[in-house]
Amino acid sequence: MKTLLIKSVVSLSLILSLYALNIQTVMAHGEKALEPFIRMRTIQWYDVQWSKQKFTVNEEISVSGKFHVAEDWPVSVPKPDAAFLNISTPGPVLIRTERFLNGKPYVNSVALQPGGDYSFKVVLKGRLPGRYHIHPFFNLKDAGQVMGPGVWLEVSGNADDFRNEVKTINGEVINMETYGLSNGIFWHVFWGALAAAWLLWWVRRPLFIARYRMLQAGLEDELVTQQDKHIGKAILIGVPIFVLASNWMTISEYPKAIPLQAALDQILPLSAQVNAGMVDVDTLKAEYRIPERAMTFLVKINNRSDKPIQVGELAVANVRFLNKELAMPSQDNTDRMIAPDGLTLADATPIQPGEERTMTIIAKDALWESERLDGLIRDSDSRIGGLLFFYDGLVGERFISSITAAVIPKFN
Amino acid sequence: MSANLTKQIFRPYTGEKARITRAYDYLILVLALFLFIGSFHLHFALTVGDWDFWIDWKDRQWWPLVTPLMGITFPAAVQAVMWEKFRLPFGATLCVTALLIGTWITRVFAYHYWNYFPINMVLPATMLPGALVLDAILMLSNSLTITAIFGGAAFALLFYPSNWPILGMFHEPIEYGNGQLTVADLFGFQYIRTGMPEYLRIIERGTLRTYGQYAAPLAAFCSALLCSLMYTLWWYIGKWFATVRYLNKI
Amino acid sequence: MATTSEQLPLLAENDNKVPWYLLDLPRYLKGFGILTVIYIGLRLYQGAFAVLSGLDSTEPAFEQYWMRLFKIELGVLVLFVTGMWGYLWFSRDRHLDTLSPREEIRRYFTLTMWISIYTFAVYWAGSYFAEQDNSWHQVAIRDTPFTANHIIEFYFNFPLYVILGGSAWLYARTRLPLYAKGISLPLTLAVFGPFMILVSVGFNEWGHTFWFREEFFAAPIHWGFVIGVWFALGVGGILLQGVTRLIELIDELEEKP
Repeated sequence: MKTLLIKSVVSLSLILSLYALNIQTVMAHGEKALEPFIRMRTIQWYDVQWSKQKFTVNEEISVSGKFHVAEDWPVSVPKPDAAFLNISTPGPVLIRTERFLNGKPYVNSVALQPGGDYSFKVVLKGRLPGRYHIHPFFNLKDAGQVMGPGVWLEVSGNADDFRNEVKTINGEVINMETYGLSNGIFWHVFWGALAAAWLLWWVRRPLFIARYRMLQAGLEDELVTQQDKHIGKAILIGVPIFVLASNWMTISEYPKAIPLQAALDQILPLSAQVNAGMVDVDTLKAEYRIPERAMTFLVKINNRSDKPIQVGELAVANVRFLNKELAMPSQDNTDRMIAPDGLTLADATPIQPGEERTMTIIAKDALWESERLDGLIRDSDSRIGGLLFFYDGLVGERFISSITAAVIPKFN
Repeated sequence: MSANLTKQIFRPYTGEKARITRAYDYLILVLALFLFIGSFHLHFALTVGDWDFWIDWKDRQWWPLVTPLMGITFPAAVQAVMWEKFRLPFGATLCVTALLIGTWITRVFAYHYWNYFPINMVLPATMLPGALVLDAILMLSNSLTITAIFGGAAFALLFYPSNWPILGMFHEPIEYGNGQLTVADLFGFQYIRTGMPEYLRIIERGTLRTYGQYAAPLAAFCSALLCSLMYTLWWYIGKWFATVRYLNKI
Repeated sequence: MATTSEQLPLLAENDNKVPWYLLDLPRYLKGFGILTVIYIGLRLYQGAFAVLSGLDSTEPAFEQYWMRLFKIELGVLVLFVTGMWGYLWFSRDRHLDTLSPREEIRRYFTLTMWISIYTFAVYWAGSYFAEQDNSWHQVAIRDTPFTANHIIEFYFNFPLYVILGGSAWLYARTRLPLYAKGISLPLTLAVFGPFMILVSVGFNEWGHTFWFREEFFAAPIHWGFVIGVWFALGVGGILLQGVTRLIELIDELEEKP
């Protein structure tokens, strides 16, 4: 039987390893399953940058960027009263050593304000070597996970070299990887041994049929002996005394122990970065032409800045539609989906200071379909949301406005 | 159905008959071991689970209330059969041991070897001291009422102090991110979990209801009361499931 | 595992390593071995492919490595349930009124082995792969009811223990006089209650779609599974039914050293 088992497991492992040779690692993390209206109208990420994509175990890298919390927050999604900026890792292959929101350290969860603008930075440290596709993302309470753009990270080195040492307030330096483990195992083995002894004490005797017969025959007294009762009394007295004594000793050993910390972090939004009052955009209408995979927006743009501006980019979810006529240096080094010539303007001339222009903008690319954003037209909430980036072609200043509109499908 | 035997005519089985009954014992023990690992662990994971999975969920308010309350269920039900029908006082210890076997296997092979979490971040709690006392009280008292009141209470009251020697060191304070955290909180922050954001923790949030610093004893005493009731309820649930009825149709 | 009374003398003569009442012990141990290989194999498969291809249900690799496995599982389960339940039913003993005490005792032992195999499957489904599901939720962003762990837990482990529980029920119904005469309530509870856990998958997926997106394990949407598993306590009644009947049967045996 043992040989058969070993043979079976070895054969199975062999088959699995052959199968593994043929695999392409996937880069997505289930983000496409979230309804498009949630991806487009909750957390609107931009300027996401990774400090490094190849690093070693123990080396720290960071991801930083910005996001706008959509004003047109979907009615079916609970308001972001508790949100947690997270990182999509396949287990803790990296650890998170620091995290900042608007420059402030941020450890717990935070309430975000719809319409608010935020910058973030997360510092990560390599733990397990490998190649991983990693995104920043937000856990939104009761709403799910809204992914930001991801990159491939390559961690090299040896997993055994990983160190994660932290200093407690008492000044003791502890190794997080092993802290408290042997102590925990000791107590589990200790109580487990006592429990096993108690079980074996009973199991060594004839059990079910024998005892049932004796009980039916009125031989109850023989089923629990005086010795059993002595042991029972020893348990009754000894176990609580031992528990209280070990508890008291632990309290003495760790007199400064505190309860788990659970405050909601309070971080206010930055001054307005999106819809900052320089360029106002009103989305009058949005139509999605299914055969062409093109979203047509009719927008009224009011340039209240003192510079002529042009539309350079439309960002929806993690897709960027660019105006190829206006090649601006990217502030985003992630591998988010880009349609390099996806944006077409009905009137490409700069919008002059003080000018109000109603114009058509077309965002056209197969990415609508491959990223499953076109699912919007079959959703119960078919409103679109995104960020429109304007540039002053002369000095490169950027203005960002949010857009939002109900989408009308066009089938031919 | 039941064999009507009396003291006068009772003869213990010997020879082959004794061997048959002993073989049956072993079969039942193997059956029971896997049954209680599987069933009690599923019940426990889906009612107490998160408090038991993570070191940063083991708080003073909810953890010592919920864990014994959900943990006393199967022990009471199994004791109802094992004690009443066989005078075997190990129902609670058997269930809790089975639970810990299942829990440890998963923590090591799923959380650690598959998903890379350090085992100290997913250390399970133990209810074994309370289970041993519960079994001992039932054996010595042979009374549902006394076991429910004193055993149920002991099961709840012993829970926090028996786990503090495992857990206390994870509550050492650390200065981190311009605030203070426990080591346990830091595990939750550093070792990334995509599906367990901090806000999901149902833990003591700290209000006047905690009467200063006495949260854990208050939770334990509340749990003691509820465990006495829960014990009785589950004793009868255990008895009800252990019916020997045959039906004509279903 | 289901040996009819007609086959017994032959088998008993051929295999004298185990006593007559444990005639099915080798098959029982093989059953454990086969299940162990299957479950460990599935866990190794997860270890090999889950992170590589199981993180996004829209990727072609997911279709190749996980949905294909799902379909294979369903095929295997359909064949197994048809074969096993069909065999148990069609090879049923039609002469239960002439069953000897010795043979009935042996069949009670085999029924206990069947239930033991069932509880072994309940272990993998209710303990290991169930809690492992929480671990996997810390790795993957949930985007489908068919995650790399659900494909094994919900759509293989759950049906398999239901099939094995049903086999135990059918074995008792077709080969033991008391279970054939009446329908054992505790055996039925112990098999049909956990069967409802499989049905609760629907409630779980509905809940995660429309009600509660978070993977908080102790959440009420998971309590359908919890109530289902309480019915496993019916095993207490099966034990009592077995013990009382076995006492009657053993009393009818001759004394042997």
